[in-house]
Amino acid sequence: MAAPEGDAGIAAGTRDVSRVKGRAFEAVCLAATSAGLVAVLILLLFVAADAFRPFSADPGWGLVYFLTLVVPVLGLAGYYYLSDEPAGEVAYATAGIPVVGLLAAGAMVVLVVELITIIELFATVLAAGLALAAIALHARLRRKAALERLGVMILAPTVAIFGVPPAEVVTLLNWAAGELGAGTLVTTRVTSLRELVMMAPVLPADWILLVLSLTLPVAGGFGLLVARRRDSRRDGLAFLGGAVAVAAAGLVAGPLTGLGAEGWVIASTFTLPPLAVYVEGVLRRREGVAGLVFPVVLVGGVLLGAVLVRQLGFAAPDPWLDPAFILDVPSRTPEDAGIYPALVGSVMMMVVIVVAIFPVGVGAAIYLEEYAPSSGLAGKVVTLIEINIGNLAGVPSVVYGLLGLALFIRVVNFPTGTVIVGALAVGLLILPIVIISAQEAIRAVPDSHRQASYGMGATRWQTVRRVVLPQALPGILTGTILALGRAIGETAPLLMVGLAASVRLAPNGFFDLGAAMPRQILTWSSEFEAAFRHGVLAAGVVTLVAVLIIMNATAIVIRNKYQREA
Amino acid sequence: MSTEPADDITSRPRGAAARERIYRYVLFACAATSVLITVGIVVLLARDAARFFGIVDPLSFFTGTEFILARNTFGVLPLVSGTLIVTVVSAAIAIPVGVAAAVYLSEYASERARAVLKPALEVLAGIPTVVYGIFALVYVTPFLQAIGLPVNTFNALSASIMVGIMIIPMVSSLSEDAMSAVPDSLRQAAYGMGATKYEVSTGVVIPAAASGIFSSFILALSRAIGETMIVFIAMGSRPRMIELGDPLQNLWQASEPMTAAMVRINSADNVSQVAFTSLFAIGLTLFLITFLMNVISNRIAARYREEYD
Repeated sequence: MAAPEGDAGIAAGTRDVSRVKGRAFEAVCLAATSAGLVAVLILLLFVAADAFRPFSADPGWGLVYFLTLVVPVLGLAGYYYLSDEPAGEVAYATAGIPVVGLLAAGAMVVLVVELITIIELFATVLAAGLALAAIALHARLRRKAALERLGVMILAPTVAIFGVPPAEVVTLLNWAAGELGAGTLVTTRVTSLRELVMMAPVLPADWILLVLSLTLPVAGGFGLLVARRRDSRRDGLAFLGGAVAVAAAGLVAGPLTGLGAEGWVIASTFTLPPLAVYVEGVLRRREGVAGLVFPVVLVGGVLLGAVLVRQLGFAAPDPWLDPAFILDVPSRTPEDAGIYPALVGSVMMMVVIVVAIFPVGVGAAIYLEEYAPSSGLAGKVVTLIEINIGNLAGVPSVVYGLLGLALFIRVVNFPTGTVIVGALAVGLLILPIVIISAQEAIRAVPDSHRQASYGMGATRWQTVRRVVLPQALPGILTGTILALGRAIGETAPLLMVGLAASVRLAPNGFFDLGAAMPRQILTWSSEFEAAFRHGVLAAGVVTLVAVLIIMNATAIVIRNKYQREA
Repeated sequence: MSTEPADDITSRPRGAAARERIYRYVLFACAATSVLITVGIVVLLARDAARFFGIVDPLSFFTGTEFILARNTFGVLPLVSGTLIVTVVSAAIAIPVGVAAAVYLSEYASERARAVLKPALEVLAGIPTVVYGIFALVYVTPFLQAIGLPVNTFNALSASIMVGIMIIPMVSSLSEDAMSAVPDSLRQAAYGMGATKYEVSTGVVIPAAASGIFSSFILALSRAIGETMIVFIAMGSRPRMIELGDPLQNLWQASEPMTAAMVRINSADNVSQVAFTSLFAIGLTLFLITFLMNVISNRIAARYREEYD
């Protein structure tokens, strides 16, 4: 960015104005803007080179993939960028949706394998579905009993899923009673629907249960979307049928693809219906249809490259980051080291954070934006709360760790280093971020919509639930995903609440000792062996950054789509 | 769902008012959680800090120049000076770079360049700090050694560089907000007087946005003070007082800021009870410093916003 010297400038009346200084200033500012970006990009390239070791491959291997994959993909991207911008977005989305879907499927597998069994999943979903049906039925039969409905809304799920009183509460009560020397307090309880299902003597095969408890709800959701979009109930039902049929085809297709029937059901459920809905929308709008070629070229390039490399006998690189790394447990020898337990721990922590923090954060945002009084003493209190939330967002993460240590371990007496303690400490940290972003999303809903709703005689809550929240949801989701991205990389709070350096077994429950990806990476960073420092460590860093990039990209896509529609 | 008209449109289902009230209380409870968290931080930290100060004289804690766990010597000044080094060096990197980036984004960049550069800069803030720490230890320090700087394996310089890069987006995006808030009429007036774009940027926009830019500095400093993982990984664990006689020496050597010391004390085996409670004293000090800085920054930002709206 050399500024043209002595570029004599324009004649401005009586004297020449030198533009050198201005040009130089602009160049300096541009350099400053890109300095940090370039520095981090270079560091990321170093780390990626350490993780994938591209130079350990035959040069021919690189050449083949360059010709079959890189050249066509770059060519296509260039074409989209120059002459067909909507297609570029379609290309990005069609390539991205299956990736995000697979990630969700992976998280689902982790949960089903490590946390709950397939039967438990089925029983829970069935019980929840019946509870929902009971609520809907009550709403239809006794339309006017508002308070009664609130009771049903709380009672029906409790009875169906947890039983009365909930098993967890019984355990806790009996434990407390035992500690006090009062013996067993609760001996009989009403068994929940979920437990009844799990006690059933005969249950269908696992893949059928998965289709019923996973494919049906997911495909049903997308089917509703289709039905509403095309204004045709039949199309929605056809979509649902198609999705279930594709998933059920896993019995045959699963073993062929190496996924197994269950794997196929999970993978297809999370990737194909969203992709189909998106492609249908693209075809219907006839906008950016050329973008649909992109995933075909991508997959085709990979397959063609693989065939050619095998035919020509080129050696592939030997990366540190390979499927074995993802699926292995940590080890003292760098070659065997893996990140699986930490990955599971991170996913489980995300679950706790979402369940514990999301409702509170959104609730707080709704109160502050829709209910909070703005004048008088109460108004002052609310202003104080708002300022306080802003300041909490700036409190160092290590202090949240200390809070977690003092509160959850020393006061509440949760066991040190468990998944739940780590998750709650990180959750408190991201709570202000969730509140602030949800507030912004809610504020963006035009006031006229609220007025219209009130004008129709809706109460405040009805307005919030039926008018404000549906419109603010994409914004809230964007903010939450970004906050979760922040949470996944937080390390200091985990250290303070004593999360294990590395565990050999993936945690099986929320009260198990857990590991987490950043914690595991930190452990590797203190190894002095070069193979750890430049290999295993780099692979871990790339895994973490990749997960983050995918999450952030998803959030940005949601935001862009939402902004255009608004 | 309902097809039959209601008898009276002003009527409400039975219990609706009570239900509305319940929702309001539940939502208020959610909002009040944030206050509970703040109170919780202060009370819980203060409780254990008080126990610490019951044993260790606060005066010797705040003025002591040695921090050695094994000998139960708790002088916080070496940790404060470690924090100071990181803050100063990272600010020296982030503030000029961040402000220049803000000027570019708000005054020079085309709409298209902004749409790419702004989110790209935000990515810097989204990278986990543990990753920055590893960059500092595994790539930056060897690089600094390779270009001939006499840095140790653990040193303040590479950690501070990474902290600086991490806080660039905070400075740039807040400063840019402040610059964008400067009314266009001021710029037009300056152009009307025959000023060049350079003169408008440096002579009109930056002074007009000064308070906003300043508040972004304070926020960035508070972020640098509270940064933990980068310094924990790359800066070593040797609490040292600043050497004023040979300032560069401070950069080459290992040192330990307050945050890293907290992590080390917490994860160390066999620390005495006093040493463990010293954790809370340091934590409380850190919390109060950063909280105060955030409040000041917000105050300044709020004041300048009033001027232009």
